[in-house]
Amino acid sequence: MELETFRKGLDEWLDEHEPELTPEADVALDGQMRHLSAVKRLAYDAGWMRWGWPERVGGFGGSTLLRGYLGEALTIRGLVEPGIYSMTEVLAPTMISFAPEELARQMVPRLLRGDETWCQGFSEPGTGSNLASLSCRAVAVGDGWHVTGQKLWTGLAQFADRCVLLTRTGTAESAHKGITALFVDMKSPGISVRPLRTMHGADEFCEVFFDDVRVPLDRTLGEVNGGWAVAMDLLPYERSTSLWHKGAYLHHRLADLLAAAPDGAIQADALGAVVQQLFVFRARSRATQYRLARGEKLGPETSIDKIMVGMTEQVVFDLVADVLSTRIAVGDDPAGERWRADFLYSRAATIYGGSAEIQRNILARRVLDLGPDR
Amino acid sequence: MIEEEDLELLRRGFQRALKAEDPDKADDALGELGWRDALAAEGTTVVPLIFTEKGLANAVATVLDDLLLSALGLTALAGAGVVLPEVGARTPPGSVVGGRLSVCGSGTARLRRGGGAVVVAAADDGTCQAISVRVADLTVDRVTGIDPAFGLVAVSADGVAFEALGEPAITWQRVIATAQLALSFELLGASRAMLGLAREHALARTQFGRPIASFQAVRHRLADSLLAVEGLAAAVSAAWDAFGSWPSAGPDRDQLAAIAKAVAGHNARSVARNCQQVLAGIGFTAEHRFHRYFRRVLLLDEMLGSARELTSVLGGEILAARTLPTPIPL
Repeated sequence: MELETFRKGLDEWLDEHEPELTPEADVALDGQMRHLSAVKRLAYDAGWMRWGWPERVGGFGGSTLLRGYLGEALTIRGLVEPGIYSMTEVLAPTMISFAPEELARQMVPRLLRGDETWCQGFSEPGTGSNLASLSCRAVAVGDGWHVTGQKLWTGLAQFADRCVLLTRTGTAESAHKGITALFVDMKSPGISVRPLRTMHGADEFCEVFFDDVRVPLDRTLGEVNGGWAVAMDLLPYERSTSLWHKGAYLHHRLADLLAAAPDGAIQADALGAVVQQLFVFRARSRATQYRLARGEKLGPETSIDKIMVGMTEQVVFDLVADVLSTRIAVGDDPAGERWRADFLYSRAATIYGGSAEIQRNILARRVLDLGPDR
Repeated sequence: MIEEEDLELLRRGFQRALKAEDPDKADDALGELGWRDALAAEGTTVVPLIFTEKGLANAVATVLDDLLLSALGLTALAGAGVVLPEVGARTPPGSVVGGRLSVCGSGTARLRRGGGAVVVAAADDGTCQAISVRVADLTVDRVTGIDPAFGLVAVSADGVAFEALGEPAITWQRVIATAQLALSFELLGASRAMLGLAREHALARTQFGRPIASFQAVRHRLADSLLAVEGLAAAVSAAWDAFGSWPSAGPDRDQLAAIAKAVAGHNARSVARNCQQVLAGIGFTAEHRFHRYFRRVLLLDEMLGSARELTSVLGGEILAARTLPTPIPL
């Protein structure tokens, strides 16, 4: 299927089905999650959600650009929130690359169809920027792994049916050479999830505790002690398609600001600079989507996309905070609450998923080739 | 579509030709290479290439005149100089009153050569016409300014005779947009060159017993420069691609060119600031090449709309329309 055909067909389908696809106003996170599943189900059954995914996992094949456009179209129409939608784009490609074939064939359609929610267990209390230092331990006993440890900042874990989990299987000093990725059922005995209250008010992130959790050996993703490759494969996805969707969301919210701002409240040069920054990010991300679609291997240069999206999100919501300062400070109506939550959440855009400083370190070492940093 | 291999050959040819420090010699070398034929046949590909290479080399060839002649549909006047707006302006440089031409504009070193010049003049009704005039009838003064090497000239005339060439092939807006994108690619080249100089220096310069490239403060300045360069590259390429593709209902291409030019000016200045700090003392000397690029960036930013002005104009346009520009499609 060509992108143009897909675009036209999808737009028509969305026009027709917009009433069923539109979320109720201002529902809490669990309602948003239910709505997301419903949207994915409808889009899957109509075929749209299957394009751009390989046939061996229930997809229809075709370019990854189709997925890029689907998420964008759903986002700009306000039908999904790209943050919670992004898990599909981040985790499905990793399963396709690293899961045993039968497992991928069985599981990926459940994620695409909205039957299941998955989460990504990477960060830990002692492991933020230094991902290779993680210590959640997995020990192979007989035909299973026994996992003990803690994860932190695990997005949507309280809703998740499965987790792509990074565990320590080598010695404590083995760093990136002793990590193994597992595909864990979140219903397994020994897992407990505690949502974290964050400053923007949504319990989107969790602490996850593993107390001698059994994971079958055939749920290993990639090689034993080869988990770093899984993480390195996943991160560029986290920094490509889902960022295109995020860019669309920022455009959508800036358009909302333009509509909501009182006359004379927006300064022309400030607005011009934000629109330019959005254009820069979109142009960069668009080029990345095409590289992905051509089958190029994405690597450390996607840190550029990641830094840019964080910068863009912050300049958009800095402008919001400037123009709608009173509503952000004291607006208790639903729209005011949403502006406030979006503004507060934007403060994390240069922190989560690898801080802006770590991304700069990656660019310095691996793109600019500046040699070691000591 | 030009083959990858031929493109690389062309790139190397451009690099050799652009080394000449004299604009006449650089133009001759490009002429021998068949640059104008390449422009006519493969403009979409060679324009980004030559202007980026020109920026990288801090070169002085007058390829902007060739590009604008081609865009105006006046390739028959090959070798003529095209009068640009005054630095700081974007309106047509010519005006016709009572059958005589007045000019207030600028131009490249080509206008110092004599021969012919092309001026776009606006009539009272807003239409434009292209005009051919002898350089000898214009007052052409060399501008030293911040970048004497560029060869910029100020051009003026007050009531001279001319030959009308009719309506140009494209609107004045599109002339400006084309030139803005060319200058943006040049700013991209200059920015890449500055980053290259700073990177090289950071790896070679040792303090406290280690290369300064090993210090995070230096690394992050260079990473920021890379971000600015890649952002500029993406913006200019996307705006340039918009000229060649997408149905006319898509984004406003002239507005995209202005956005790209503003991004180019802004980001190139940011690259200059970070790279100069990394280059430190050596970068402040006249013998180091950095200052040539810095000068070029400051001049190019001023030409055909500075980042500052274009940003404010863009914001004003959006506020007046109360709607964001149509985003570039995937």
